[in-house]
Amino acid sequence: MDELTTYAENTWCPGCGNFGILNAFKKAVGKLEEKGIGREKIMISAGIGCHGKIFDYLKLSGLYSIHGRSMATVQGMKIANPDLKVVVFAGDGDAFGEGIAHMIFAAKRNADITVILHDNGVYGLTTGQFTPTSEKGFKGPSTPKGSIEEPLNPLSLMLEAKATFVARGYPVKLDHLVEIMVQAVEHEGFSFVDVLQPCVSFNDTYKRYNPMVEILDHVPESYDEAMAVAKRQDKLPLGIIYRQEKPPYHRELYGDWNPVTRRLSREERIKKVEGLLSSYT
Amino acid sequence: MKDDVFTFIVGGKAGEGVRKAGSASARLFTTMGRQVFNMDDYGSLIKGGHNFSVVSTAKRKITSHYIKADLVVAPDKRSYDIHREHLSERGIMVYNSDTVGEAEGVGIPLTTEAKKYPNPNLRIGVGAVAALAAAIGLDKESFKELIQTEYARDVENNMAYAMTIYDMVHPKIGSKFQLERGDKERPIVTGNEAIALGAAAGGLDTYYAYPMTPSSSILHYLAAHDKELGVTAVHPENEIAVINMAIGSAFAGAKAMVGSSGGGFALMQEAFSLAGMVEAPLLCYLGSRPGPSTGVPTYTAQGDLKFAINQGHGEFARIVASPGTMEEAFYLTAEMLDLVWRFQTLGIIFTDKHLAESRMTVDIEANKAKWPEPVMHPGGEYKRYLDTDNGVSPLLFPPSKELIRWDSYEHDELGVTTEEPDMIAKMQEKRNRKKKAVADCIMGMHTVNVHGDKGPVILTYGSTTMSVLEALRCGEIEAKVVQPIYLEPLPVWELERYRDGEVIIVELSCEGQFASLLREKVRIEPKSVIKKYDGRPFDPLELASRIKEVM
Repeated sequence: MDELTTYAENTWCPGCGNFGILNAFKKAVGKLEEKGIGREKIMISAGIGCHGKIFDYLKLSGLYSIHGRSMATVQGMKIANPDLKVVVFAGDGDAFGEGIAHMIFAAKRNADITVILHDNGVYGLTTGQFTPTSEKGFKGPSTPKGSIEEPLNPLSLMLEAKATFVARGYPVKLDHLVEIMVQAVEHEGFSFVDVLQPCVSFNDTYKRYNPMVEILDHVPESYDEAMAVAKRQDKLPLGIIYRQEKPPYHRELYGDWNPVTRRLSREERIKKVEGLLSSYT
Repeated sequence: MKDDVFTFIVGGKAGEGVRKAGSASARLFTTMGRQVFNMDDYGSLIKGGHNFSVVSTAKRKITSHYIKADLVVAPDKRSYDIHREHLSERGIMVYNSDTVGEAEGVGIPLTTEAKKYPNPNLRIGVGAVAALAAAIGLDKESFKELIQTEYARDVENNMAYAMTIYDMVHPKIGSKFQLERGDKERPIVTGNEAIALGAAAGGLDTYYAYPMTPSSSILHYLAAHDKELGVTAVHPENEIAVINMAIGSAFAGAKAMVGSSGGGFALMQEAFSLAGMVEAPLLCYLGSRPGPSTGVPTYTAQGDLKFAINQGHGEFARIVASPGTMEEAFYLTAEMLDLVWRFQTLGIIFTDKHLAESRMTVDIEANKAKWPEPVMHPGGEYKRYLDTDNGVSPLLFPPSKELIRWDSYEHDELGVTTEEPDMIAKMQEKRNRKKKAVADCIMGMHTVNVHGDKGPVILTYGSTTMSVLEALRCGEIEAKVVQPIYLEPLPVWELERYRDGEVIIVELSCEGQFASLLREKVRIEPKSVIKKYDGRPFDPLELASRIKEVM
């Protein structure tokens, strides 16, 4: 057991893509620490589902949230103390089914959070139903005749919602995924990493993805180019697809304020309240 | 019937400055050192319709508006027709002769005069305040000062218009009402302002809310004063984000609060239980209105009592308290913030539109507000869910070398998920002990207000307390008013002494939820339950006669 692993028993299926995400993130934490971002400042959160179990396996501080809400949870952490780095592990059903409004708004307001999407196109822990990213025709217990809905494209959707960092990784390309994770956490603003995650029990995509993935040789230079890359159907481009510098939400909200480290003393507060009360006379 | 109250009603269309005229008139009375209660009646629309503001004033404490008015200003025909019914025996109607035509009362060409200035519609309210100033014989210098502070925008035109109307009204009914000065000038605040200020005085760091009447004005107030107070106010995408963000903020050590009304609260249920499980300290504000569903958004009701005390699924401690006045709202908000942090659980300030949005003169000593002092980790190895005697585990905030793990799943002491039967039982018991610790703590606190000591017992709570007290004053009724401030845990130990006597219950609910709660928890069988459920608060005169009927 390494120093980033808890004593929780790992109950993912053997061969699950989640192992790659877990290992990649542990390596990313090591690299972030080398860059001066200590693990005590990295807060994690997760929704509910197979992906969420990563919270139990990672020996880091954070809040194991509920289905679809972890993006809101970490935004609250960040607003309360902007010195923290906050990372969410989300499932595709979690982020784009139950929590889609939070995803779109987190991107829209450029909340300084990192969302790592365990994108397996299936609800694993509830035994294989179709999700918002499942291919049309996906057969699961709730769609025995095949899903009749079009899948969402998480990359183009997040771009459209004004995300300032959008990337895609694949656990099979582990070192590449590590590097993306490091840069996503370092990015100031909303960063989104879509990780293609095969589910060996309900949606085994290794064989399909292996020949389709292709590491980008450069970061697209414009929004339009990024959108074109995000929408490619013939290949699954991997890497940073879009990156933009823009002030994050908390800085636009309150400048260099920090609600917990710069909190007013009781005496200062009472004086302010007395002042406001007397303005009502 | 005592005749120590003067009441002014100004009506008009939404968007014509009716509420402003009400609050400016209220200010007029407070500058005279008098006490004031001001209630706004408005519909769910922005322009048009019919709104009115009622301002009642006395030299003594006054805790309700009166619907019978001594002076009415009616800028349009609809106001004239509606409020003619509201004139007291000595009441005078000042109406807009341009819109009403020939009628009983004092006709003043409010519109003709207003048209001499830009935005004539916005002037009408100024004219109403001028009519009031003339009718009570306020000297011109004092009136000018009032216009300067209350209508500072475009003050020159406002002043000119106000003086014209004053001069037109004065010869007809000038100094018709002689109002004596009161003992001292007091601040006048809405319940929501009192709650926002109480939260700030009590150490609030972050406030999250999605707009919903009648809670929105807390969000507006804190957003407007964020830098000054050092409180961060955020308006996210929906109520679900609101409460989840607040829980995240609490994790990071911020005193967080959320606010909404019934529908928004319904959306927060899931995360309410999350807070119960992760043991997040969280203060919630529930300002109710007539339901179910959208109901009647801008009116008042106490129909969410049982909803408030049963928030969230699962077993954990909840604290629900309802303030009986604006002053109590201030102190109680700080007290509740302290309680939720002391016990790391959820508290709800439960109130309604009547308290939330009505204005009242207050005596508030900000320095008496509580300030949370949670149990902090003393150092060494940290376990978030350390199993302690009273169930309260010490807090530690990031960044820290220690692991700080809050978990929505059942968990062990460190915050790692568990399905082990022994651990599940142990944690259920820990949370249950905390629930008992909350009840024990509240048992030692002031939880029930008792007003008066003779006559029958009247049990009431929340904003209705103010209506009952004013009804007793105006009806000269002797009664003992018993008002539980805390509703969950309900202070049964204080209330059971009223079990065997004659009890009258007063509340704004059709089912009689408060009566049913008292029956269930205290086994009080009331002699009668006085209820109102038309969206309007009680009028003290009407309530006094209903109390007399059942006494």
